[in-house]
Amino acid sequence: MTLAFLAQQTIERIPFDSPTIDWHAFAPEAILLAWTCLVVVVDMVGLERARRFMPGLTGVGFLLATIPVLTLWNDGATRSLFEGAYVVDRYALALKGLFLISGYVVVLLSTQYMADGDYYDSEYYILLASSVLGMTVMASARDLITIFVALELLSIPAYLLAAWRKRDLKSNEAGLKYMLMGIFASAIMLYGMSLLYGVAGDTRLSVIAEKLTSEGTKPLLTLAALFTIIGFAFKVSAVPFHTWAPDTYEGAPTPLTAFLAVASKAAGFVAMVTIITTAFPGQADVVEPFMWVLSALTMSIGNLIAMRQTNIVRMLAYSGVAQAGYIMAPLAVYSQTGQNGVSAASAIVNYLIIYSAMNLGAFAVVIAAARKTRSGEISSFGGMLNYAPGLTTAMTVFLFSLAGIPPMGGWLAKWQVFSVLLQSESTWGTTLALVAAVNTVLAAFYYLNVAKQMWFMPAPDGDTSRVRVPPSLVAALAITVIATLLSGVTGLVPDITDFGSIALGR
Amino acid sequence: MVDVIVFAVAGLIVLAGGLGVVLNSNPVRSALSLVASFFGVAVLFVLQEAHFLALVQIVVYAGAIVVLFLFVIMLLGVDEVEDLSIEPLSGQRIGGLLAGAALLVFLLGGLFLSGGDEGAVAVTGTESVTQPIDETQPNIDNLATDLFGRNVLAFEATALLLTIATVGAVVLVRNAGAEDLSVDEPGRADH
Amino acid sequence: MSDFLRQYLLVILFALLAVGVVGAFIGLASLLRPNRPSKGKLENYESGVDPVGSGWSQSQIRYYIFALLFVMFDVEAVFIFPWATRLEEYGYFGLLEMVIFIAILTLGLGYAWRKGVLRWA
Repeated sequence: MTLAFLAQQTIERIPFDSPTIDWHAFAPEAILLAWTCLVVVVDMVGLERARRFMPGLTGVGFLLATIPVLTLWNDGATRSLFEGAYVVDRYALALKGLFLISGYVVVLLSTQYMADGDYYDSEYYILLASSVLGMTVMASARDLITIFVALELLSIPAYLLAAWRKRDLKSNEAGLKYMLMGIFASAIMLYGMSLLYGVAGDTRLSVIAEKLTSEGTKPLLTLAALFTIIGFAFKVSAVPFHTWAPDTYEGAPTPLTAFLAVASKAAGFVAMVTIITTAFPGQADVVEPFMWVLSALTMSIGNLIAMRQTNIVRMLAYSGVAQAGYIMAPLAVYSQTGQNGVSAASAIVNYLIIYSAMNLGAFAVVIAAARKTRSGEISSFGGMLNYAPGLTTAMTVFLFSLAGIPPMGGWLAKWQVFSVLLQSESTWGTTLALVAAVNTVLAAFYYLNVAKQMWFMPAPDGDTSRVRVPPSLVAALAITVIATLLSGVTGLVPDITDFGSIALGR
Repeated sequence: MVDVIVFAVAGLIVLAGGLGVVLNSNPVRSALSLVASFFGVAVLFVLQEAHFLALVQIVVYAGAIVVLFLFVIMLLGVDEVEDLSIEPLSGQRIGGLLAGAALLVFLLGGLFLSGGDEGAVAVTGTESVTQPIDETQPNIDNLATDLFGRNVLAFEATALLLTIATVGAVVLVRNAGAEDLSVDEPGRADH
Repeated sequence: MSDFLRQYLLVILFALLAVGVVGAFIGLASLLRPNRPSKGKLENYESGVDPVGSGWSQSQIRYYIFALLFVMFDVEAVFIFPWATRLEEYGYFGLLEMVIFIAILTLGLGYAWRKGVLRWA
C-alpha cells in the first residue's frame, strides 16, 4: 500500500528522473570525499595514536584523487553532468590537478610544522582535505548553486585553519578577519547571484548567458554582474578588497598561509574566470572596464605596499596581491581575444599553475628558514648563503621567477598575460600591458632585495649553524623547484593550458 | 488587495526587525529582533505560496540559528558593555552611513531603471523569463527534483559542510593537550 | 484574496486566539490579584537557593557544541523532509543520496561524541 491517499488527489506530482552519473568524470571528487570521511574515521578510532599517520594518509588521498584526473585528461572528452551544471573538460582537469598537487605540497609543508607545534594535527588535515575537495568541485561547477556551495566548502575550513593557533592572539585575529570579510563577500555575491537568477530564471551559467545576451545591457544586469564579481574579488584579495590578506597571512600558521595564498586564491580566480567567460559574454562592455580598474589598482597598490614591508610573510602577502592583479589582467580584454575568452582563460590558468609552484616554494623556504631563525623579518635572511646554500639557491629561483626573470616559469606566465593583452589590439589592453610592465619592474626591486640579503649581507646575529630541513620540506622544495624551472624552460604549462576549441561548458 | 496589505505588514516587520538588530545596544534584544525579521520573511514566503520555505525559515532560522546566536552572546557575556562612543577611525561612522546611502541609491536606481520599454517600473521577478510555477504542483516537489536531481552534488557537499562545522567547533572548544579531553572553561584561557 | 491566502486565515485566527486567551488571563489576574511588590519577588529564581550574581552571567562554551549539533540536525531534517514526502518517486537513487548524506552527518556526530565533548562531567 502506498501513502498516496494522504496527498491531495487533485495535485499533480512532478515526476522525478534520477540523473545519470558518469562515475569516471566524478571519480576525483568521489575519491576525495570518501578519503576525507576515511580520515575522520581513522581520527575517531585512533584518537591521539592516529596523529602521526595523518599527514601521510591525507597526502595519499590527494595523490589517489589525481589518478582519475590523469585518466580523464588522457581521455580528453568533455563530459557534462547534471544537464550542464557540472562540466569536466581540460580546463577543469588542469585546475583539479593543480589543486590536488598544491594540496599535497601543503601537506608536505605542514607535516613537521604541525607536529612541532602540538596543534590538533588530525583535524588540520581533515579540514585541509575538505577545502581541497571544495576547490575540485569549483573547477567543474557551471551552476550558481554548485559554485556557491563549493566556495563555502573551500572557505569555511580555511577560516577555521587560519585561527588554528588558538592561544595566539594574532592567529585569532587572522581567523576572525578572514571569516568576517569572507562572509561579507559571500553576502554581496549571493545578492548578485539572486539578481542573476531573478533575470534568467535558471542557475546554470550557460542558460544565464543566453538570457542575458537577449536582455542586452540594463542597470540591473550591471548590478548583478558587478556584485557577483566583487564576491570573488574578495577571495582573490584584489584591491580595494584586499584588506584582510596581510593580517590573515601573518597570523595564520605559515603552511596554511601558503595554502591561502596559492590554492584558495586560485579557486577564487577559477570561479571568476568561469562566471565571466561563461555567463557574461554579452556584458563585456560593463565587466571589462571594471576588471581593468580592478587589475590596475591591484597590481599597483599591491606592489607599492609590498616594497615597504620588512616582514617576509607580509611582503609575500602584498606581492600575492600584486600578482593577483597580473592574473586578472586578461579578463579586462576577454571578449576581444580568441575564442570567446578561452585564450584569456588559458593565460590565467597558465599563470595560476606557475604562480602556485613558485609561491608554494617561496613559502617552503620561509618555513624552513624560520625553523632556525624563529623570525619573519627579511633581515633575518642575511648571510644565508654561508650556512644554507641549498635553501638560498632555491629561494633565488623562486624570487627570480616571481619577479619574472627568464628562464624561470614566472617569466613565461607574464609573457602569456602580456600577449593576450596585446592581442586584443585595443587601447585598454595596451595601456593595461603598460601598467603591468611598470609594475613588473617595481616588483623586481623588492624580490631582488630579499635575494640580496641572502647572498651579500652578513647574518644578523652571527649565528651560522646549519639549518636542518626535515625530509617533507625537502620533498616540497624539490617539487616546486622542478616545477618552476621546468615550466620556464620547456614551456610545458602552455601546452597543458592550451584548451583549444574547448568552450567552457557551452 | 489583501496581498498588498499582507506584503506591507510583513515588509514593515522585516525592516523594523532589521533596524532593531542594528540599533539595539543589548545584543540579546538584537537577536530577538532578528527573530521578528525572520518571521516577517516567512510571511513573505507564504505570500509567494512557498510554504515549505516559510516552514524552513521558521524552523531553521528563527529556531535553530537564532538559538545559536543567543548561545554565542551568552558565551561572550552580555554584561560586558563596549563603549561605542569611541571611533577607531575618525569619521568612520559618517563615512559608513554615506557609503550605505550611496549603495541604496545605486541599487534602487538600478532596479527601477531596468523597466520595460513602456517605462513601466520593473523590479526583479516581473522581468523573469521563466513561467510562474504551476499552482497545481506542490513546490516541495519542485524543490526536491532540483535538490536530488541537478544539484545533488551541492546537496552532499552541504552534509560535509555541516560535519566540518562540527569538527571546527570541537577543535576551537577543546582544551589543548588535556588528558581527559575536557572543555575550555570560559574566562580561563591561558595565553 | 486568493484561495491560498484564505487557508492561512485560520493561522491568523489561531494567532489572535492565542494572544487573546493569554491577554485575557493575565488581564483578569491583574485585576483580581492583590498587588504587594517586594524586593524578594524580583530576584531571579535559582532552584530555591539564594541567587548568586546576575542572570546575565557568562555561559559555558560547551553549550555551543550542543547548539551547533542542534542546527546541524535541524538542517538535516529540512533536507530529509522533501525526500520523505515521496519516497517511492525518488527510488534507489534518492535512497543512496540520502544514505550518503546521513552517513556524513552521523560522522560529525560520532566525531563529537568520540572526542568527548558530549560528556558532561
